[in-house]
Parts: sequence; structure tokens; C-alpha cells
Amino acid sequence: MAFRLRPRPNQPEWKVNEQQAPLDEMYDSFVGHAGEAAQGQTGVESTKGRDLLPEEVKWLAITHKSFDHGRRGFNDRLAFLGKRIVYLQTSLALLRSPNPAPQVFTTRKERHSENINVFHHPALAGTENLTSFSKSQVLSPSRLARLAQSYGVDKVVRWKPKKAENLKGSGVETVLAHTVYSIIGALAMQRGGEVAARTARERILQPLGLR
Amino acid sequence: MKRVRLDRWASQLQPPRNPRLQVQRCALSHETTTLPRRRDLHQQRQYITQTQWQCQRQPVSSKRKASTAAVLQEAGNEGESEASKLPSRNKKSTTPLYAPSHHTAARSAKLAALHARLSLPPKLPLQTLARCLVDPSADPRSDYNNAPFAILGQDLLGYHTTEHLTCHYPRLPMSVLFAAQYAFVGEATLASVRAEWGVEVVAAPGVEVDAGLLQLKRQVPGNSMVEGTGRRVKDMPGVRALGARLGGGRRNAEWNYRRGVSSRVVFDDEFGDLIGGEPYAGAQLSTSASEDGGAVDVEGGDGTTSSLPTLPQSPDDTEATTVSDASASFVRAVAGALYLHVGAAATRTFHRDHILSRQLDLHTMFNFTHPTRDLSRLCAREGFEPPVARLISETGRLSRTPVFVVGVYSGDNLLGEAAGASLNEGRVRAAAAALRSWYLYSPSKGEIVVPSEVEGMAAAGKGKEWKPQVIDVGEIVT
Repeated sequence: MAFRLRPRPNQPEWKVNEQQAPLDEMYDSFVGHAGEAAQGQTGVESTKGRDLLPEEVKWLAITHKSFDHGRRGFNDRLAFLGKRIVYLQTSLALLRSPNPAPQVFTTRKERHSENINVFHHPALAGTENLTSFSKSQVLSPSRLARLAQSYGVDKVVRWKPKKAENLKGSGVETVLAHTVYSIIGALAMQRGGEVAARTARERILQPLGLR
Repeated sequence: MKRVRLDRWASQLQPPRNPRLQVQRCALSHETTTLPRRRDLHQQRQYITQTQWQCQRQPVSSKRKASTAAVLQEAGNEGESEASKLPSRNKKSTTPLYAPSHHTAARSAKLAALHARLSLPPKLPLQTLARCLVDPSADPRSDYNNAPFAILGQDLLGYHTTEHLTCHYPRLPMSVLFAAQYAFVGEATLASVRAEWGVEVVAAPGVEVDAGLLQLKRQVPGNSMVEGTGRRVKDMPGVRALGARLGGGRRNAEWNYRRGVSSRVVFDDEFGDLIGGEPYAGAQLSTSASEDGGAVDVEGGDGTTSSLPTLPQSPDDTEATTVSDASASFVRAVAGALYLHVGAAATRTFHRDHILSRQLDLHTMFNFTHPTRDLSRLCAREGFEPPVARLISETGRLSRTPVFVVGVYSGDNLLGEAAGASLNEGRVRAAAAALRSWYLYSPSKGEIVVPSEVEGMAAAGKGKEWKPQVIDVGEIVT
């Protein structure tokens, strides 16, 4: 008979959601109208978030590696793919974003002399907005975690915190950002790049302020 | 028959200028004197005083294709006079040029040859290709260097590589996935790609170099000796804060945290390496005075501070980079520029032709510590019968070099087979072979459709039918 040698840590027992209903509601609110890009694919009756993914993928996408020591599967690979998709869409959105007005008044002659050596092309508009600093500011884990909370991801994610009474110290923001990426990755693997890209644009980047 | 125009021909009959000779112009004198290149400044001054020339010296640097050793030798002799004097020689524009302007780029033979050699579409102009060859260390202004293209290109190449790996090898463990990503689009590989393309690197950047060369400010090698001390550059004291530069905010960089594989997905780059660039954990890195002194602290929304570095304005303030970093930026910048000018299909073709065409032996990238234990847990998870090792054949049991061929069976199904010098070794190797065959599972080619093939205009044009891809639950956590 198995018995526990180490004493139980002095913290409340951590319980995760086992119900299907909150999970489905979370997927509906996360995907929203972006699921319409999957219209016409074989096996897609409705484009609500809960119907785009099969059951086991829905549960896998919100399962962190800390849950049951990774014995029941985890979403690392989906998060890896999802992050690549979100990063690419962020770069494209930064390129499309409008330039801020120049802070300094410059004369036309000064502007001409500055611009004479720059090669202008309509395809290259917006490249000054794309820097690694701006990207890291847009996609910092804390901002993604707040966005995930607004969709209700924190109520359904399956994980095990180090300290049940101190979630922030246990890294809940990292886990929520990880889960956001993995949902995008799951949509990409199950429904294709168009659905995933549209979800990333409309449901992640637009609420974070990038059109 | 047309009359021969000798006045037009005459200029082409002159011998080509030797770039290794320095030309010294004197404001007062009518003569121009060429001096040998390696004559140092001290000798030049002696020569001046001896001949009693009163004019100012404005030497034109012609460090076009000299070797690094010559540059480093001269850097100590000549000082920093060359690069800082160049901008003042541009007569018309007030903003200085640190690399060849796009007007000259269109006339560069090397650049046009590179464009043709790579079969780049005509929609990508030569001027943009020239901009792709300028590293931020050569010109820090984002309108003139390849930084925005490199960021976009890195995202594109990383995305296409990741989707290729996850769709073709759905069960690959995370550490192998990171390693494979680096093997396809990491810095070392892209540096070889640059070399294979035949793009040469300048010894030092400048306005007069050919627009078809890769321009960067080269880093002083870590093994070179620092002047005045007996120490090497890499052994000089000073540690740079890791991962905190761009607001990465990675708590796991502290000494009492263990940086796990799972958190790398969120915090680190696409290869699982720390952003901030340490060569290995705990490496001593040199401080950069401009970085620490000129940083402006930006308060994040939740109280975390991230430093917004004050942007350098000239190549004198930039940090030097290595050739491999600059080469990787160049290849990424070409991918990014292709996307901007031509479109997503051209980028996918570029990725297929230059990245996916490379051979990678994934089966050599695994490292198992307890393969028998992992295989047993895998069979339990998947509902197979527990693995049993059986001796298939053997030879030389009592000799110095026995060979035991061991197979690991789940019921009657052979999972993996390997040979070893002892019974135990054979059993362990067979278990590792079984695990490798599980993790390297690849669906049949007809079933694989990568996500980007049904994205955007590709869906409308080609009419490729989407098929849901295999999603694996995850590897056995050892």
C-alpha cells in the first residue's frame, strides 16, 4: 500500500476545474467571431470556439506541465507554435500601425536633407515601428496574463502552483501567457493558419492595442 | 559603321585604381601623393615635417578588403580618425552616411550579381537588398540598417520552421524541438548560408565600400590581449545583467532558481536561449559603458521596470557584433524584405529553398538518461503491454568482444532493437531505439498540411484542402 513519506505542505489544497461547461465558455469567449475563418472546412458545423477543437485537444491546450507532473499531457509544443504565430502577427501589426507625429518641428529643407539618403518605397512603410523593444513591450507576460483573465482562462487552466496562497509568486502570469499561446497553437494545428492568425490578430493583439 | 569616340573610350582604358594605396590630398598643394598603406601615423608625421607641408591631412580610408589582422594592426596605429572624418567629407547632405547610399547601390556589380544568383524576384529592388547588408553596428539608424527586416524575417523563418517540425514530427520532445529549430534557422546555420551565398564581409564599414558586401563593426575577439595588461578581453572583470535588458523580466536568471524547459517557451527566444545572449550559463560578460550609463528606466504597468536604452546615433556608439550574428541578421533581413516587397508566397519559397533543403539528422539529437524507465512509463500511458527485453541473437559471449542483439517487445510487437557489448548495454540501447522511433514518428506525406499553406491568399489561390494535424499529448517527463 502506498503512503506518503514527506509531510503535506502547510497550504490549502489546490483544486482545478473538471467541468466541461466553464471550459466551453472560455473557448467561446476567447475565439469569438474569429472562428468564422473556419467556415467551409470539413467537419465544422458551427464556428463557436467550443466546436472548433475536439475534446481531448481542448483539455490538452489548457493543461500545464506542472499538472500531475506532466503525466496527463501538457501544452508545451502547442505553446511553442502559438508563440511563433503571435510573434509574427505582432510584427505585421506593428508594421501597419500609424507613425506617431514628429515631436520636433523641422523645416522642409531639413526634412529633405534627412530623407534624401533613405530609400523610400511604399512596401517599406512602417518599418520604423518594428523594434525588439516595442515587441517585447506589447507581448510582456503580465499583459497577456491580464488578457487571459478577462477571457476566463485562469478559471479553467490546469496547473499546480508552488504555493497555493501566493499565485503570483508561483508564476501564474507565466502559466496564463503560456496557455494563451497554446490555444492559438491548438487552433493552428486543428483548423489551419488562417483561423489561428485571425484569432491572434482580433482576440489578442486588438485588445492589447494593435490593429 | 559608326565613328569611334575616343573621348568616351579613354576613361575605360585607364588601369583600375589600386584600393590598397592611400591617396593624400593637400588643400594648398596641386600634387597628390600616394603613400604605402601600412605606413603608420608616426612615420606620416615625420614625413610631413620633413617636407614642411603646411596643409591639413585628410586621408581617405580605403579599408576595402584588407584582412582583419591588418585592420587591428592599423587600428592601434591610426586611431579613430578615419570613420569620424568621413561624414564631414559629404558635401551636400547634412545627415551623415555611414554606408553606401542607395544611389550607388544600383550601380554595384556585386549586388546585382547576388540578386541574380539567388534568383530573387524583380519586385525586390537592389536598394532594399543593399539595406539588408547593413548591420545596425555599422549604422544604428533604423531607416538605414536591416534591423526591422531582420526582426520580421526571424519571425517568418521561425514560424515556417516550427510548423514544419511540429507537423512532420508531432511527437518530438521540447529539448529536441529547440535544438532542431536552432539547427535550421539558428545563427550558426544562417552564417553558413551567408557564406554559401558568396557574400563577403568588410573589414570595416564605410561609405566607399562596395554596396554588395556585408557591413558590420567587428567585435574584438575575446582571446585577444588587452593593451597594458596581461589579460585577455574575455577574462576582464564585469558581468552584464542577463535577460533584463529588454524587459524580459526573467526571475529564473537568479542563482537559486532552476530555469526549466517549459518556461523557455514564454521567456526565451525560439531556440530556448536567454534573450540577452550568454554563451553558457554563468558566463562572464564584459560591461558596456553606454548601456549602463545611458539607460532610461521605463516603468511597466505592474511595477516592473524595463530599461529603454538611449539609442546610439553613430557607429562610434554602437556595440560591435560578430560576423556570424551579422550574417544571420542579413539572411533574416532578406526573408523580411521579400515578405514586404513580394509577399508571403515568396517567403515560403525562400524558406523551402534555403532552409528546408538542408539535411538534419534528428535521430542523433536525442539524449536519454533512463531509457528503460521512460519506455516503461510510455507503454503504461499508451496502454501497451509492459516492455520486455529479449535476446534475439548473440556471439562471442566468452570472448573479449561479445555482441548481444537485444529486442524490446510489448507482447509480440517489437518496439526497438539494438546491439551492445553486454546484455545490459543491449537492453538499454534497445529501449533508447524504441523511444527514438516513438518520438520520431512522422505521418504520411499525403496527410501533412502545414498551417501557413491555408493562410491568407494561399487558401484562395491553390485550393489546398486543410487536414487537421496530429497533436501529441507530450513526451515522457524524466
